[in-house]
Amino acid sequence: MRLLKNYIMATETQFSERQSLELITTMINKAKNDYVETGISALMWGSIVTFCSLASFINYYFQWQWTKYIWYLAIIAVIPQVIISVREKRKRKYKTYSEDAMGGIWISFGVAMFLLIYFVNTFKVQHNEPLFLIIYGFPTFATGYARSFKAMIVGGIACWVFAVISMYIEFPYTMLLEAGAAQLAWFIPGLILRRRYRRARQHV
Amino acid sequence: MFKDLNPILHSQLRLAVMSLLISVKEAEFTFIKEKTNSTAGNLSVQIQKFKEAGYIEVKKEFKDNYPNTTCKITPQGIAAFEEYVKTLQQYLNVKHK
Repeated sequence: MRLLKNYIMATETQFSERQSLELITTMINKAKNDYVETGISALMWGSIVTFCSLASFINYYFQWQWTKYIWYLAIIAVIPQVIISVREKRKRKYKTYSEDAMGGIWISFGVAMFLLIYFVNTFKVQHNEPLFLIIYGFPTFATGYARSFKAMIVGGIACWVFAVISMYIEFPYTMLLEAGAAQLAWFIPGLILRRRYRRARQHV
Repeated sequence: MFKDLNPILHSQLRLAVMSLLISVKEAEFTFIKEKTNSTAGNLSVQIQKFKEAGYIEVKKEFKDNYPNTTCKITPQGIAAFEEYVKTLQQYLNVKHK
């Protein structure tokens, strides 16, 4: 025991200023690199919005009854999203400052979406797809920008470009743009995040 | 004239803990233990020292029916860490000259 104490004392006295600085850098990087998102939420929303958009597009030609209600799927998906968020939060052993900011951005997106859906349905707003695409771009770009995640930056910009294009084209082709936006903004970034997450888990 | 390096921070394990805590909002004891490769006993002693110095806040609660300790750096801890890094830089700049 005394030997161990002596060893600790010896190593502590040999601890140089340069070593201190190296240790600080190492630990900050350890904390920074530990944060890996699972990508499940992005994959889920990317799949749902793509599926609903393509179903609406196909419905224009086939007039299937069930596809009329397809967008309710996006409302129902809020339930698994809440469960996923709660579970992921419980699993995490630490909290970051950016996590709070991201949470605020995505909650405000959820509220904005809810109000927009209400407005569009109550007042029967036609040709509303550009509005949705503009809103899709906002949290996607903000997340990508804050996390330096290029795929989401590209996805956010793609939403806005598609929003401009959709102002000049008619339904059902606007639905193809919605599907494309969902793929670029969420599904593809989700796949990248998932791959990163799996790789990180293998190294643990 | 150089200031002395803060003895509370100038220890490998304690500096590792503070560097980790400065990068996050708060962290669980197990996370700190894992990242610093320390033993639970040793880490508890160092955390207690920080707590007494007012550098970190310790919260004890239950998570999934198990006791869970969470640590968070205080504004006083942030100031001490910043001061420590400034002093370190002064030392290193002189050594380079």
